[in-house]
Amino acid sequence: MLFLLIIITCLILQFFLPWWIVGAVAFLFASWVAKSAIQAFGSSFLALFILWVAMGLVHSIPNDHLLANRVGQMLMLPEQGFNWAIVLLITGVIGGLAAGFSALAGFYCRQVFSKQG
Amino acid sequence: MKSILKAIFTFIVALLLLLLLNTKLGSIPPLAKFLDPFHGFWKNAECKKKPRTETLTLDELKGRVEIQFDEQMIPHIFAENNYDLYYAQGYITAKDRLWQLDFQTRFAAGRLSEVIGAKAIDIDTYQRRMGMVYGAENTILEMEKDPEIKEIMGAYTAGINAYIHSLKPADYPIEFKILDYQPEDWKPLNSALLLKLMSAVLTGGSTQFYMSNILSKYGPDVVKDLFPDYPFGEDPIIPEGTQWNFKPIEIPKQPTALPENTVCNQTTKQMEEGIGSNNWALAGAKTSSGYPMLANDPHLDLTLPSIWYQIQMASNDMNAYGVSIPGAPGIVIGFNANVAWGVTNVDANVMDWYRIKFKDHSQQEYWYDNKWNSVKSRIETIAVRGGKTIVDTIYYTHHGPIVYLNNQKPKGLSTCDNIPVGHALRWIAHDPSNDIRTFYMLNRAKNYTDYREALVNYTAPAQNFIFASVDNDIAITSSGYFPLKWDNQGKFLLDGSDPANDWHGRIPVDQNPTVKNPSRNFVSSANQRPTDATYPYYLNWEFANYERAHRINQRLSVMTRASVDSLRSLQNDNYSVLAEDILPILLSAIDIKSLNATESKGFEMLRKWDKCFHADAIAASIFELWQKDISAKTWADQFDVTNVPMRYPSRDKLVELIVKEPNSNWFDDNRTPQKETRDDIIRAAYKFAVDSLQRKYGAISGDWKWGNVKHTHVPHLAQIAGFGSKFLNNGGSKTSVNATSERNGPSWRMIVALGKSVKAYGVFPGGESGNPGSFYYDDMVDSWSSGKLNELVYLQSKDEKSERIISKWELSKK
Repeated sequence: MLFLLIIITCLILQFFLPWWIVGAVAFLFASWVAKSAIQAFGSSFLALFILWVAMGLVHSIPNDHLLANRVGQMLMLPEQGFNWAIVLLITGVIGGLAAGFSALAGFYCRQVFSKQG
Repeated sequence: MKSILKAIFTFIVALLLLLLLNTKLGSIPPLAKFLDPFHGFWKNAECKKKPRTETLTLDELKGRVEIQFDEQMIPHIFAENNYDLYYAQGYITAKDRLWQLDFQTRFAAGRLSEVIGAKAIDIDTYQRRMGMVYGAENTILEMEKDPEIKEIMGAYTAGINAYIHSLKPADYPIEFKILDYQPEDWKPLNSALLLKLMSAVLTGGSTQFYMSNILSKYGPDVVKDLFPDYPFGEDPIIPEGTQWNFKPIEIPKQPTALPENTVCNQTTKQMEEGIGSNNWALAGAKTSSGYPMLANDPHLDLTLPSIWYQIQMASNDMNAYGVSIPGAPGIVIGFNANVAWGVTNVDANVMDWYRIKFKDHSQQEYWYDNKWNSVKSRIETIAVRGGKTIVDTIYYTHHGPIVYLNNQKPKGLSTCDNIPVGHALRWIAHDPSNDIRTFYMLNRAKNYTDYREALVNYTAPAQNFIFASVDNDIAITSSGYFPLKWDNQGKFLLDGSDPANDWHGRIPVDQNPTVKNPSRNFVSSANQRPTDATYPYYLNWEFANYERAHRINQRLSVMTRASVDSLRSLQNDNYSVLAEDILPILLSAIDIKSLNATESKGFEMLRKWDKCFHADAIAASIFELWQKDISAKTWADQFDVTNVPMRYPSRDKLVELIVKEPNSNWFDDNRTPQKETRDDIIRAAYKFAVDSLQRKYGAISGDWKWGNVKHTHVPHLAQIAGFGSKFLNNGGSKTSVNATSERNGPSWRMIVALGKSVKAYGVFPGGESGNPGSFYYDDMVDSWSSGKLNELVYLQSKDEKSERIISKWELSKK
């Protein structure tokens, strides 16, 4: 549930808003539906990992990964044909971490209020 | 309580993480912002397939514009009027090269620190102090006096800005995302700055500082001997013996005082040889078609995005094709249905340094013409990203800016090594000029008369404009503002207090060196001396070494029924005249018995070598290191002196010594007790050359091949790793017509065959797009590297059908 909410909302909002909106989305949904800290982090991480990797591929496949391979070299990876895959992995992990930690914060904040409530 | 702490802690961690991923740290781009596939770099990954047609609405257009793109995405613009034509050129140039426009302008204007921070302060200060902005401001004032030029500059600017305003941050070129900044609006001043940058590249290599040191250390006789004004083996641009059919004006008198030397803590550097451009044109009598042909390959530092931008531009009064400078309206090198033109650098002496004597420590008044004169201050403000803004005051004399006063010269910046401290700079790039006018007229030229009229407006950087027309005229003119000087004025530093040392106006523009339809049926240039000694005026004492010019003239003079391929083979000629001149002597000096196994093997290869710097020649690698070390061993003892920066004599001089004066004292290394002769130096240098290659590449193998040793590649303009070309295995050398080296070479190769319908061929080391994520970023590099040319698509009208057109844009207002 959390996974789907985040991936769909981020997919729509990211067309209009800067990347950090994923933090806000993960925070809000996790504070609403997350059942545990692990689930909050895990589902959000996975949602953004998949979303960013998929969107990266949408741009990179028609490009024969030309640019992603160049960016790989820029990031000091040795010259090789599969740099694009590593860059894609890094992209997914960065997006995942941003969402995961925001979701964790959301989950713990909700706990404070639900206990007091 | 514990849960509150947990909440606060994780909240802060999450916030910091988001902040961190949104911030540029050192040279690392803001990571999440950069990697975000909705707005970051992934958006710059271009699809290979281009849409067949596109329509654009642009309010500022006056009529309809059609842009057709050929299979290399080169635009062919068809407009109904000139405003729309230059507007579309600006728009399309920005579409392909926006970051290059921004970055090169910032570099020229001394504004890099604004985007890359404190590490650019020295280079920014240098550009400001050299008067780059000052010169650009003078130039723009002059251009604005010319209504036609003002109109096209305005149109070009509006076109660039229309494109910039159509962008969202996600659409910015990738370099903006890496360096994390935004494009800003274009101004006509930026175009002037880019022209000044060309002047800086092509006229900025003054050696007066070094020459003065040599003069004071060794005296006038040595200077005359080693740094002659008319060196060995010259083959001037205007054929020797050509009559000057004009009455020269009076040459100013030379004052008697000789300058003193200037000491500083710098040492001599081996001169990096200038940029090796070639051009030539053949009369119809020498071609198979009976119509003239013209070839040009201007050499510059190799960078991606390409220095040039190919374009066809057609309106109600022109239809020309060629290369433009991104940032300047019009076509610089190209052709139309009637004429073709091209350029090589003249290297005239248009940059002089004047010693300034101040009245007192306040440095507000300087001595000139027997009285104290006030300096003018110019304040330059340099904003620094992540640092404090720097306010720099530069003093201007009537000569120009005093570039560095005591303690102002930065230590780590080699660009400013040749600048004498406490000297004012008189430089042609500071003067008002309207060079765009020349190209505007050449683009529309129909015949020789139009060509000559166009050149009247040209100031700097001085170029050898070569020309051919369909009515069988060929010509070449060394064009530009040449200051009227006494002989050798500016070979050494000048005393800034004596008016006799000032520039005395200019050589009358119609007396600039020129030749039309010479009897040898061809004209050519390769940066060598423009004229023989009979030309009444002084242009400079030193020009490019004679080898390339000599080879071109040799081959052209025996060429008959020339085709495009014969000219292409000359552009790619790797034969070294230097090797022809000295290799037999070098080989005969070697004592074969004293050689070890590797040295013997190398010697055999050199003996069999055809003297061509081909990519697979091992002998070429050995020869190159050998001749360079002969030069170092001959000159280092006299010219590498701590705290007295000097330079070595030219290669032509060394060749003369090797060929004619084997016992010259210059060969003796005065740091050793015994006396060395030419042959001792040759032998020691040979061992050094083979040894160096062996240390670097092991025993003789494929790694010793010239292509590998030279290792040409085309790096990115901002040196971003991965954004340059791969290593290119090609031939060429500084002493060959194909003067390709590790980092510079032909930035555009063009051959035009005039005729009933003009045919042209060209290639540059890059592509039309400036986007590293485009298939058109470097799609011409392989053709360029292997010496091939593409047939250029020249459309007679927008309705001409060509199979090579792959996409079409319609532009109009609402």
